[in-house]
This record gives sequence, structure tokens and C-alpha cells, in this order.
Amino acid sequence: MDEVVSGAYVFTVERSARGYALNKMANSLSSADNRSRFNDNEARYMRDMGCSTEQIDLVARRDWKGMLESGASIYLMLKIGAAVGVPLPEIGAHSAGMTLAEYNARKAH
Amino acid sequence: MAHVIGGIGTSHAPTIGVAWDRGQQQEPIWAPLFSGYVPARAWLDEVRPDLFLIVYNDHVNQFFFDAYPTFALGVGATHAQADEGWGKRPLPDLPGDPDFAWHLARSLVADEFDPTICQEMKLDHGVLSFLPLLTDTDWKVPVVPLAVNVIQHPIPTARRLYRLGGALGRAIASYPKDKRIVVFGTGGLTHQLHGTKFGTKNAGWDNEFLDRLETDPAGLSELSIQEYMERGGTEGVEMIMWLAMRGALGKSVRRVHRNYTAPFNTGYGLLVLET
Repeated sequence: MDEVVSGAYVFTVERSARGYALNKMANSLSSADNRSRFNDNEARYMRDMGCSTEQIDLVARRDWKGMLESGASIYLMLKIGAAVGVPLPEIGAHSAGMTLAEYNARKAH
Repeated sequence: MAHVIGGIGTSHAPTIGVAWDRGQQQEPIWAPLFSGYVPARAWLDEVRPDLFLIVYNDHVNQFFFDAYPTFALGVGATHAQADEGWGKRPLPDLPGDPDFAWHLARSLVADEFDPTICQEMKLDHGVLSFLPLLTDTDWKVPVVPLAVNVIQHPIPTARRLYRLGGALGRAIASYPKDKRIVVFGTGGLTHQLHGTKFGTKNAGWDNEFLDRLETDPAGLSELSIQEYMERGGTEGVEMIMWLAMRGALGKSVRRVHRNYTAPFNTGYGLLVLET
């Protein structure tokens, strides 16, 4: 289940099944109407889409690492990021256990 | 008779499309990438292809995990652009080629490859990131897209992609109409979008891969998915799709052009091969 390669979570079918509701919700953000409804009230939108309390909390906390651990696909997390204005570098750095500033500082060396 | 006039391997990172839309082609950090496409475009202008057959992967924009195909073929007369979450780019829909695509479907299934047949297939940056760098955006050359699952494991092996390329070559050779076709393999090169190695790339492996794609594709096809991910990152595994392009070209090829640059978190590769 927690197959890790190159320090990353391999998106296996087991992970895909575990994160299905969260991923399905994120996939719905491919439409402008749904992004607008999500932005109005994230928790209500997610509940209506069948997400669990745990999944709603992960998004509320912008806990990108936690989302990955619970089966989110990086490509669908990017759709959540697009809706809430968080770009890939910030998501990636968080999943590596760093802030974006820490990540950039480490890369500069 | 249709025939393969050449192959193009190219990265399809979404950042390429964003920089293109913003007009950043001349900026110092981007110029080595964009200027690298100029000889590839000049080659295309010279060889005048009638069709692009593009092996790429969808990034959960056309397909979702309710039903995720290992291989999927776009047979529609047009291919719409997907909204990936940021709204659509100012690009028209792409023309398809249903007659060739249906021939390809029949030939692939007879050859024991079984794509999901899609009469509607929205395309994302897997195709649209690099295409404006290679052709005018009025899209005069029709595109037949072939999507590969490289994101929900288990994914097909590198060897399967190389053999798929052989089947593409046989399908093209058996198409009765005159058609000059360029086959694309897209994705990569090395990148990792998440986890403790977020942002790492591997220029040494990228360049070895570009070398061996010309001279030793069979050897590359024997590497496991695990090895591709360890050398090039979990998302860098997209590189296996270049083997489908290479497999369509036959044994010997002539390199027309090659470019490599890696200013950010992804190795950007470009390779033009002639049969």
C-alpha cells in the first residue's frame, strides 16, 4: 500500500481507491461553475461531493502531504491548488516537509 | 501508401505552454528551450507531414479513475481542449483524422493492442504544451492522439511501449492512402512533482536516454518501471512513451536535431529523428 520510490508515493490502484472521493471532488473543479461553488464554501461543496470529514480537514488545512498520504493524485491536487491559488512549487515543497522558502533556499545551495 | 517520415520526442510540461502564452520566448531563462524548437519546426516545414500521430498521457483531464484506460485512441473529427482547472488557453480545437484513426484502431486490435476508442477526447498539456512551438496554431496538420496510462499503477512496461511503436509502424505501412506521418513520443524527461525528492531531476540519465533512444532502444525497453522511477522520478516515468515513437521508426534512424535544457524542475528534451 505505502509503496515509496524515489521518496515519493507511487499512485497505485490501492491508493486511488482510498482517495477516490477526494480525487473525484478535485476532478469536478475542472469547470468554472464548480470552482465558484467550491470557493463559496469548501466544506459544504466537499460534503455534497461525498468527501469524509478527514478529507475536508486535509483541504481546510492545505495539508498537501496529508492529502498524498491519504490517496490523492498529485494531478488532482493541482486542480485543488488552482482553485485556491496555491501553485505546484508550494504543494511540492509541503509534500517534502518544507515551506516554499525553505525549499528555494535549499535549491539555491 | 502511408509512411513514417520521422519521429519527434518532446517534453510536454505545462510550463512550456504557460511561457508561450505569456510571450516569454526571448527571456534568458526560456530562450534555450524555445530556440531549441526552431530547427525542429524548420524540419517539419521542409518535410511537410500530412498527419501527426501523438503518443501522450492525459493528466486526469479527459479520463478519471472511474474508468482509466491503459491505451486510448482519439478517432474524432476534432479534439476539444480540456479545462485543466485554470480555464482554457486561447487555442482552437485540433482537427483529427477519423479515417486514419479507425484504420489504426482496426490494425492495432488485430496486432493485439486494444485501445479504448474515443469519439470525443479532450486534450490537455500532454499535446497542447509543445504543439504551438512546432506548427502554426491554425492547426493545418490533423492530429491523431494515442493516450497511455502512466499515472495510475500498474502502468504498461517500457517494452510494451516499444512494441506498441512497432504496431504503429505496421498500421501506418498498411494504410492504403498516401500520407506522410510524423510520430511523436512525449513527456518527461526526468522530474518528480512530490515527496522528499520533489524538484529533483537527473541530467545525466536524461542525456543517456537521448543517446540510447537513437542507438539502443531495445536496451532501454528492458528497464523496469521501478528503474525508470528511481532514475528519473515517479512522474519522469513518462519517458517510456518516447519508446513508442522510436519503435515506429524501424531499426536505423538519422538524427536531425537534439536539444536539452533544464532551467527549472524538469529536464526538457527534444529529439528529431528521420527514417
